[in-house]
Amino acid sequence: MQSRFLKTIPMKLYVLLAAVVIFAFFSNDFGLVDIQKTAIILAVGIDRAGDGYSLTTQIAVPKGSDRTTGGTSSVEIETKGATVSDCLTELEAVTGWVPKLVFCNLVVLGEDAAKEDAFAALNYFLRNEYMPDSCLIAACEGKAGELISSQSAIDDASSLAITKLFSDASVKSGATLPNSLKDFAIDHYGASESGYLPYLRAIRQEGEQQAAGGSQGGGGGEQTPQNIYTAQETALFSKGKLVDVLPPEQTFALSLLQGNVFSGTFSAEEKGEPVTLTVLEDDGGASLSMDGGPSVKLSLRVKVRLCCRGLAAPIEDVASDVVPQEVLESAERVLSESVGALFERSRAAGCDVFFLRRSLYRSSLRRYAEWKDDLLPAIVPHIETKVVSMH
Amino acid sequence: MKNVSKDLAKTTEALKKLLPAEDILTFSFRSEKTAFTCVFADPVTDKELLGEQVIRPLSRFAGEPKAEEVGRHITSPEMKKVRALDELAQEILAGNPAVLWEGMDEAIVTGTKKVFTRAIAEPSTDVAVKGPREGFIEDMKTNTSLIRRRFKTGELRIETAEVGRRSRTSVAVCYLDGTAEREVVDEVRAKLGEIDIDIVPDSSYLTHFLSSRPYSLVKQVGTTEKPDIFCAKLAEGRVGLIVDGSPIALTVPYLLIEDFQSSEDYFVPPYRATFTRLLRLFALLVAIYLPAFYVAAQLFKLQLFPVRLLLTIAGSIRDIPFSPSLEMLLVLLVLEVLNEASIRMPKYVGMALSVVGALVLGETAVSAGFVSTPAIIIIAFSGIGLYAVPNLIEQTSVLRLAMLLVAGSVGTYGIILLTAFCFLYLVTTENFRTPLFAPFSPLIGKDLRDSVIKYNLGSLPTRPKVLKSPNKRRLK
Amino acid sequence: MNRISPRQLFFFLACVAPVGKIVLLPARLAEFAKNDLIFPAAVHFLVQALLVFCVLLLVKCGKSFYELLEDTFGKIAAKIVICLFALFLLFAALLPLLEQKLFVQSVFYDTLPSLVAFSPFFLFAAFLCAKPLAGFGRVWDVLAPIAIAGMAGVLLLSVGSADYAALLPVGAGKAGFFEALRTAASWFFDSALLLPLLGKIDYEKGIAWKGTLCYLAGAAVALFFLATFYGVFAETSVNQLFAFTKTSKYFSGITVLGRIDYLFIFALALVMAFYCAMPVQACVECVNEAFGRRPYLPTLLSVAFAAILFTLSVLLDYRFGEVLFAVTGALVWVYPVFTVLVPALSLLLRRDHAK
Repeated sequence: MQSRFLKTIPMKLYVLLAAVVIFAFFSNDFGLVDIQKTAIILAVGIDRAGDGYSLTTQIAVPKGSDRTTGGTSSVEIETKGATVSDCLTELEAVTGWVPKLVFCNLVVLGEDAAKEDAFAALNYFLRNEYMPDSCLIAACEGKAGELISSQSAIDDASSLAITKLFSDASVKSGATLPNSLKDFAIDHYGASESGYLPYLRAIRQEGEQQAAGGSQGGGGGEQTPQNIYTAQETALFSKGKLVDVLPPEQTFALSLLQGNVFSGTFSAEEKGEPVTLTVLEDDGGASLSMDGGPSVKLSLRVKVRLCCRGLAAPIEDVASDVVPQEVLESAERVLSESVGALFERSRAAGCDVFFLRRSLYRSSLRRYAEWKDDLLPAIVPHIETKVVSMH
Repeated sequence: MKNVSKDLAKTTEALKKLLPAEDILTFSFRSEKTAFTCVFADPVTDKELLGEQVIRPLSRFAGEPKAEEVGRHITSPEMKKVRALDELAQEILAGNPAVLWEGMDEAIVTGTKKVFTRAIAEPSTDVAVKGPREGFIEDMKTNTSLIRRRFKTGELRIETAEVGRRSRTSVAVCYLDGTAEREVVDEVRAKLGEIDIDIVPDSSYLTHFLSSRPYSLVKQVGTTEKPDIFCAKLAEGRVGLIVDGSPIALTVPYLLIEDFQSSEDYFVPPYRATFTRLLRLFALLVAIYLPAFYVAAQLFKLQLFPVRLLLTIAGSIRDIPFSPSLEMLLVLLVLEVLNEASIRMPKYVGMALSVVGALVLGETAVSAGFVSTPAIIIIAFSGIGLYAVPNLIEQTSVLRLAMLLVAGSVGTYGIILLTAFCFLYLVTTENFRTPLFAPFSPLIGKDLRDSVIKYNLGSLPTRPKVLKSPNKRRLK
Repeated sequence: MNRISPRQLFFFLACVAPVGKIVLLPARLAEFAKNDLIFPAAVHFLVQALLVFCVLLLVKCGKSFYELLEDTFGKIAAKIVICLFALFLLFAALLPLLEQKLFVQSVFYDTLPSLVAFSPFFLFAAFLCAKPLAGFGRVWDVLAPIAIAGMAGVLLLSVGSADYAALLPVGAGKAGFFEALRTAASWFFDSALLLPLLGKIDYEKGIAWKGTLCYLAGAAVALFFLATFYGVFAETSVNQLFAFTKTSKYFSGITVLGRIDYLFIFALALVMAFYCAMPVQACVECVNEAFGRRPYLPTLLSVAFAAILFTLSVLLDYRFGEVLFAVTGALVWVYPVFTVLVPALSLLLRRDHAK
C-alpha cells in the first residue's frame, strides 16, 4: 500500500504543479506590463531645461483592427525633470503608460544639451539594460523636442522620417555619417575622447500644409506646417561636448576617408562649368606616423565616372562615362581642399575625428603617454588624393 | 466433471452448464454406428463450413468411433483433439465447434470459425503517395498473412499468445529470429504473460503494459497500420505485436525519431526525404512553440517582435476583451473542440462544421472583436503543424497546451525550463533497455544517418546500432 | 544509463563548461584587466585544464571520489571531507544561480519581474538533481549541439561588429591583471565538478589528455568570445552585463528580421539552466554516496538543496552586488582550496584496489 503511495507521488506532484501553473496562468501579474499599458517609445529628444532636462518622447499609438489607412500613429509628450530618468518617471505619472525603451531607435540631442555635455544626458540610456544601444543618435539645431514633435512631410512620425536619412543607401552616398549610441560612447570613452554625430535640421516645406492634431492624422484642427529633415552636416564632439559642426562637403570628405562611399556624387569643374562625378570605389584612410615627429597621412583614392555635365553635349559625349583628365585634376583639388579643411577644422575644435590618439594608444603605450595631450596641435597632415576615371 | 466423458449426454450436459448462453447451440446427428453432437457458438461459427467439412462426412462415417478414425473423415484442415472441458469451452467461444461422440473421452475441435473481415484498404492515418497502399485490418490472420508474404524466410517467427481473462484476445508476437535481440523477445513474452486484465479490445490496451513509464505522456511503443512499415521495423531488429481485432500493430523498442520517418522517405531520393523530415520537425516545433512564444512575447518580452509587427499586433488586440494568454487559450480550445467534433461527426455534417468553424467562428469572432486576427493565424499555423507528425498528435497537443500555460504564467523563461524538463525526461526514458531519444542521446553516429537526415540506402549497410541486433549487417 | 561515456564527458568539457563563463565574467574581467581580459581568463582555463587532466587520470581506477577518500583516510575522515566538498559545491552554485537569475530578469522580461518568474528554475533543479548524476551524460549529448549552435550563432552574428584592434595594446590592463585573476576564480570550478563523477565514467585509453584537449578547445571558444566581446564594446565593455546576449544585436539583418539572435541566446540559456544546476547535482551525489545511497535520499536532498538556494535567492534578491563582492573578495580563497588543491591532491589518494 505504502509502495503504491510512493509510486504515485510523482504523478501527484505533476498534478499539483499543473494546478499551480493553471492558477498562475489565470492570475499572473509577475511584473507583467500589458501591451496596452505600455508606451512604445520610438524616439526621444533631449533638451536642457534650466538646471534639468526636458525630454520629448515620441510614442507609437497602435491603430485599431481596422487598418485600412496603414502607417504608424504617434504622439509626442514632453516631460521635465532634474535628470532624464526623472523625465521618464514623470511621463509614467502623467500618462499612466509604462515607458518602454526597447524599441527606441533614435535619440536626438538638442543643441544646448549637446554643447553642455552629451554624456550627462545620455548617462541614463547607457545604464539602462532595456535601452538598445544600437539606436541611432544625432544632434540637432535648436531644440530636439521641437524636431521630434514636428510634422513630417514624408512619414507619419518624424522619427521614422529621420531614421530614413540614416539608411545604408544614405551612408553609401556619403551624404551623412550616422552613429549609434554604442559607437558614440566607445569613441568618447576611448583614448581619443572625441566623436561625431549627424547634425539634424528641420526644413519647413512652404505651401504644403495638412490638417493635424499632434502627428496623428485625421480630424480637424489647426494647420501644422510640414517638415523635411537634413543630416548632411556633422557635429563634432570633444570630451562629450559639441564643439563644431562640419558642413556637408566636409561630411562627404570624412565619409570618403572612412571608405564608406560607393555611390555618392560630388562636383568638380570643367572649363569653369560644374561637372558631377559619381564615386564607384572609395579607398580612404588616415594613418599615423610618429617617425620624425607626429604626422598623419590622409589618403584618398577614388574611382569615379561622369554623372552629369553642366553644359549641353553631343550624343557621343553623353554615351561616354570617361572622365576627362582636366575634370579629374579638378576633382582631386576639390577633395584635397575638403579634406584639408576638415582636418584643420576638427583640430581647431579639439576633436580627434580621425581617432589618431586611439591609433597611437593601440600602437604604443609609451608614445601615447608622451604625446596624448599634444598630438593634435603638433601633428602634420599629408594629404594624398587620387581620383581616377572608371575607364 | 473436468474432462470429456465417454457418455455423450453427460458431456453435452456439462458443456451446457459451462456455456449456458443462448447462442451456444448443439446439433446431434447419427451415422450408421455412432451418435455425434456438435457444440458451437452460433454467431462466430461458419455453419456452412461446419456442415460441409464436419457433419456431412461424419454422417456417412461407418468406422470405429476412435479419434483418429473420426479425424480422418473430417475435411477441415484445422483440427485438434481436446480432453479438458474448460479448454473445449474456450475453443467453442472462439468459434471452433466441438465434435463429441458416444463412447469416446476426447473431442475434436475444428477450425470452422466465421471470419468477419473488411477488405484490405489504405489506412487513412498513414497515406503514402508512393509505396505500398495496404493496411492492416482487424483480423489477425489476415494481418499475419500480409507479413508472411513479405518475409519468405523461416526466420520470421510468429508466436501466438492469449491476453485478457475474458476476451482471450490473440496476440501475435512477430520477430525475425537472429535479427531481433533475444532479450527483447523474452521481455515482450514476459510482459504479455504478466498482463492480468479482463478484456483487450484493442492493441492500445497493451501499450500501457509494454511501457516502462505507463503514466508518462511520452509514447513508448511504436504503432503502425501499414504492413510494409511493420516489416521494415522487424527487419531492423524490432519485435512486432499484432492484436486480433485491432488494425494497429505495435512495435518495440520504440524510438522517438520513428514518428518523423514516413514510409515514403524510403521511396524518394534521400535529399527529398531529409528535407521532408526536417520540415516535419520544424512543423512540430512551430505547433508546440508558436502559440507559447506569441503569448510570452506579448506579455513579457515585446522585443521578440520587430517594431512594425508589434504595432500591427498591438492595433489588432486593442479592443479584445481578453488578456493575450486567455485569448490564445480560448482559440486553442475552440480549435481542439472543432477538431474533436469534426472527427467524430458523420462526414456530411463534418463538412458543415468545418465551414462553421472557419467562417462563423473565425471571421465573425474577429469582426465582433472577441479574438484578434493574429491569434487566429497563430493557432492556424500551429494546428497545421501538428498534423505534420500524425503519430505524435496526442502528445504534442498536450505539450502545446502545457507550453501555452507556462508561457502565460512565467513567460519565455518558463518555455525554456519546460523544454529543459522535456529534454531531461526524454533522455532518461528507456523502454526495453533502449533509450527513447536515441540516436541523439545517447549519440550514435551511425544511426544518425537515418534520423532527421536520411542517407542513401547504400550508405545504410547496418541495422540501427541502438537496437543491438545480433545480425548487424543488412547490406552485404 | 548510469554510466557516463567518455564522449559525453568530452561534450561537457568542450561545450557546456565554457557557457558559464560568458554571462557576467567578461564585464568583470574588462573592469580590471581592460583590453587584456583574455589573459586572466586564459590562465584560469590553463590551470583548470591541468586539473581536469589530474582528475581524469583517476577515472582508470574505477572508484568514486568518496571511495578513494575512504580507502586513504578511512570512513569518518572521508565523510567529513566529502561533506565539506559538498558544502563548497553548494556555495559555488550560488554565484551562477544569482547570475542566471539576473540574466533571466534582464533578458527574458522587458520590465523587472518579480522573483516568482525565476522560481520555476528551482523546481527544475530539484527534478534534475533527483536524477542519477550519470543521467547527465545523456543530457550532455543533447546539450552539446545546442551549445555549439548557440555559440556559433552568437559569434557569427557578432564578429562583423567587432573591432579586434580594440584588444591592443597588449599590457594596457596589466595593473589589474591580478585583481582580474582573483575575481575570475569564482567562475572556474570545472575540475571540482568532475570529482563527483569519478566512478561513473567509462574508462577509455587516453581519456585524460583527450578530456583536457576538449576542455582547452572549449576554452579557446570562450576566449574568442571574450576577444569578440571586447572588440564589440571596447572601453564600454565594463558596462555590458550578460555579455553573450549583447554582442550579436548589432548584426545588420536584425533590423529587418527582428531579434533573430534570441534564437541562439535561448539555446545558450537552455544549456545554462543545466549548467547552473550542476553544482547542486554534484553536491547531492556527494552526500548521497557518503550516506549509503538510500532510496529516497537523492530526492529529499535535491528538494532540500533547491529550497536552500531558493531561500538564499529570495534573501539576496537585490543584493547581488554584495554577494559578488563577498564571493570574489573575502571568500574567494575558498575556490582555490576546492578547485585547485582538492583536485590536485586527489592524485595522491590510494588507487591500488582497482575495481
